[in-house]
Amino acid sequence: MMRRNPGFWFALPLIAAMLLFFAAPLVIVVWFSLMPPRSFDLTTDFGLQNYQSAFADGYGPPLMWSLIGATLTTAITAALAWPTAKILHRHAGRWASIVTALIALPIFISESVRLFGLSVFLMPGGGILAGTLKALFDVQIGTILNTRFAALLGMVYIHFPFMLFPMLLGVGMIPADRIEAAQDLGAGRWAILREVELPLAAPGLLVGGLLTFVLCLGANAEAAILGGRAVTVITAAIEQRFNYAQDWPMGAALTVLVILVTAALVFPAVRRIDLNRIIRR
Amino acid sequence: MIGGRARNWVKVIWVCTILTALYLPILSVLLASLANTRYMRFPHKVWSLDAYRGAAADYTTVTLHVISLQIAVWVVLLSVVLGTLGAMAYARYDWRGRTLFQKMLVLPIFFPQPVLGLALLLSMSALGIAPSWKTAVVAHAVWIVPIVTLVISIRLFGYDVAQEEAAFDLGASRWQVAREVTFPALWPGIFSGALFAFLLSWSNLPLSIYTSGADTPLPLWLFSRTATNYSPLVPAIAVIGTFVSGLVVLALLLLRRVLSRAAN
Repeated sequence: MMRRNPGFWFALPLIAAMLLFFAAPLVIVVWFSLMPPRSFDLTTDFGLQNYQSAFADGYGPPLMWSLIGATLTTAITAALAWPTAKILHRHAGRWASIVTALIALPIFISESVRLFGLSVFLMPGGGILAGTLKALFDVQIGTILNTRFAALLGMVYIHFPFMLFPMLLGVGMIPADRIEAAQDLGAGRWAILREVELPLAAPGLLVGGLLTFVLCLGANAEAAILGGRAVTVITAAIEQRFNYAQDWPMGAALTVLVILVTAALVFPAVRRIDLNRIIRR
Repeated sequence: MIGGRARNWVKVIWVCTILTALYLPILSVLLASLANTRYMRFPHKVWSLDAYRGAAADYTTVTLHVISLQIAVWVVLLSVVLGTLGAMAYARYDWRGRTLFQKMLVLPIFFPQPVLGLALLLSMSALGIAPSWKTAVVAHAVWIVPIVTLVISIRLFGYDVAQEEAAFDLGASRWQVAREVTFPALWPGIFSGALFAFLLSWSNLPLSIYTSGADTPLPLWLFSRTATNYSPLVPAIAVIGTFVSGLVVLALLLLRRVLSRAAN
């Protein structure tokens, strides 16, 4: 009885749901992107006009801003998360668990609440920061609100935990004796980081980096709430095309471009990472 | 070289800075909600709970919570059913195609959420389905079900299949084995999975933006009211919404306690 393997049957409902609600919509989007501009029907009248006009009509910059934002956010969160992960791992115990839980908690408070909080904090004049400084020290400060920098700050703020937790799993994969051995052999700090720690923690870093980058690629709330009109990200450009311009094929073409960038990063990584090994721990 | 004691201080300061940075915006929401003026003028001349009274009297508050709750409950049910079955295929059974299944399953997680919402919106519109809270459930589920499947799978990896075989050898029926052996092993994972599903759905903004149509869940309302038409009602409802999700989690934890006590 145990010989017969029911694994496939258990997987079937999930596979069916994912094909219907994840794969099929993507196929429809690709199909729409090949339709003549401003059409609302799926036909076999395929063409590449939308992709050609995507760059001619100035949709290059929004895509570029999203890519730059995602790259910077990934780099900054990684730089902040690495020492944090090492501290939490090294001093594992009651305090570290409390700190870890405190870092995880905000993930479950809505992004809109936290970004709104950041905007009232940074608000000029009567904002939390500016108002407090004025009342306590009589210092007037300006604001970074409604700049690209503010949008980037928001992205780093929101995505830090997504980088930290996979990284924490990665750092957990470094055996302590390996570092000691390297130290005994006279390796310096940088050599240990480059030759021992980073390679051993690589799966965690890769998952964290990938997750952060991909989430940032589509992020638009940060730019909308904190960035003002300083920057148009690709998601905002797509939405504008879908809703206001009623040009579905163009919106679809832009969506496909984002999907292609995502796939180019995710597919090779997923093939390489053995997720089982990371989560089995 | 820095001395050991100094290095420890650097670490403490680093961790405290990170925590402060994470919680200052959340504290700011709380502070902003205690005003009674339309424009933020911090520090407030008058600290008041007017905004909370206003929120309690406003029917919008209830509507927003009901819509968010409706979506979250459906997402939890879908995630638990599909996730539990999926986790059996992910971690319990060895079958042809399992590796592919494991790799494909994470693809929706590594996908930009608003783009997923837009793709769903376009396909639904093409099929003539009007977006509503039900389409938002679908959008949430595409992202959350794989996560819940992984959460349940993590627990299942430690599961010893020999227990089931032993039960069969002792003459247990298939149903008895499922109820007495498999399910108790799955239960902690299912519970954490349900908690994750609820919290992720309740707080999600990017998947709802384009898929919820005329039904506005809580995070989406906060998002649109932050940009236009601000008043202290906005932070007050943000605080209430976060508080309610905390209460739901607390209730679920209590329920688990009662259930496990009843089982013993």
